[in-house]
Amino acid sequence: MADNTPKGAERAKNKRGIWGWINPYHYNLERWAYAFQRITGVAVLAYVLGHLGDTSFFVGGPTGSGPSPSSWDFIGTIFENSFGHLILVLVVLVLVFHGVNGIRLILAEFGFILKKPSKIEYPYKAKGLGSGQKYLIWIGIAAGVAAAVWAFLVLFEGMG
Amino acid sequence: MTDVRLLVQRFDPLTDEKPRFAEYSVPKREGMTVLDALLYARDYLDHSIALRFSCRQASCGSCGMKINGRLRLACYTQVEELGGEKVVAQPMDNFEIIKDLVTDLGSFFAKHKQLMPYVLRSDSQEMDHPSAEFLMKPEELEKVLQFTYCIKCGLCTSSCPTVGTDALFPGPQALAQAYRYLSDERDEGGKRRIDALDTAHGVWRCHYAGSCSAVCPKGVDPALGIQLLKRHVMSGKARSEGAEVWKQQAAAAPPLK
Ligand code: SF4
Repeated sequence: MADNTPKGAERAKNKRGIWGWINPYHYNLERWAYAFQRITGVAVLAYVLGHLGDTSFFVGGPTGSGPSPSSWDFIGTIFENSFGHLILVLVVLVLVFHGVNGIRLILAEFGFILKKPSKIEYPYKAKGLGSGQKYLIWIGIAAGVAAAVWAFLVLFEGMG
Repeated sequence: MTDVRLLVQRFDPLTDEKPRFAEYSVPKREGMTVLDALLYARDYLDHSIALRFSCRQASCGSCGMKINGRLRLACYTQVEELGGEKVVAQPMDNFEIIKDLVTDLGSFFAKHKQLMPYVLRSDSQEMDHPSAEFLMKPEELEKVLQFTYCIKCGLCTSSCPTVGTDALFPGPQALAQAYRYLSDERDEGGKRRIDALDTAHGVWRCHYAGSCSAVCPKGVDPALGIQLLKRHVMSGKARSEGAEVWKQQAAAAPPLK
């Protein structure tokens, strides 16, 4: 039987998909915060899973075959160097940003940091994108950077 | 008078495999909107350009499209505010393309309807055969007024990242209207509305990216409505579940002497 599907049927769907989550270009600050929240969420999850895996070598490892000092030492070789420390600094940065931004989202969902709807006048200024919650995004970024600087100093001092 | 370079995304899914851009040179004039430029191109340069428009004054919501990467109404965007040299017109994201700049808004309107965008009352007799207007205090009207300005252009829904991956998510437009009716003092739909919103693909899929409010040309501010809606859903749920527990406890309690 002949395939009658229009040639461009797939492209016509025109869905942005996951790309729309991670690409905030042309959009507002909150959309950037949203994209970073998603990306840092996945990064934090990956770190936590990895961390659970590596600490489990203390108590028998994923296979339960008893403590495995060699596996533990192997993990050590990954992180006990400049590159590994830079990854840990990055983990601190994303963790702190993700946490502060998460609090901002909870506060917004309870309506605490948003103004009430009211009569609007042109040029319209969205209260949903008001300054209160915007400050929290910047606080999240500043706190993440400050924590990362602190982590950098602690980790690299230990190396020096 | 100089010309403006107008790039229009052309795509007919029936015959084309993928979209392409066609370039037109349009003579610029003062106050020219992107819609004016598109209509000039369609009337004098290429009759086959497909676009949708009607009122030309940001009231009908027909000419929503992506202009220079941002979602806007073509009639509400001046060529000059884009720098005046180059205009790139593409169809709205996340809606199926019918042809060129025309997208299918069928599912968008269906979702709007699904969330019951009308006042719900228990007195159906009065609803069907009203004996008087359903009056509203001015201060109550102010609470919902901005949401009533929605022209259903679809820009907010097109901008929403969740809509791009979840076909069942109602989208910012429908949710903003759900808030509008849920917070209308004349409405008695409370539990029915909350049940429709508190689902796996409902209001909780919004993660407050806020792009809906950033692109809305009418100041509706769906992001604000949706966050307030979440609070309504949480407290409404708590109230109705609390009432249920209380009823059960009352039924199980020994009778008072
Ligand atoms: S809320 Fe604004 S952007 Fe969304 S459909 Fe209504 S008018 Fe358009």
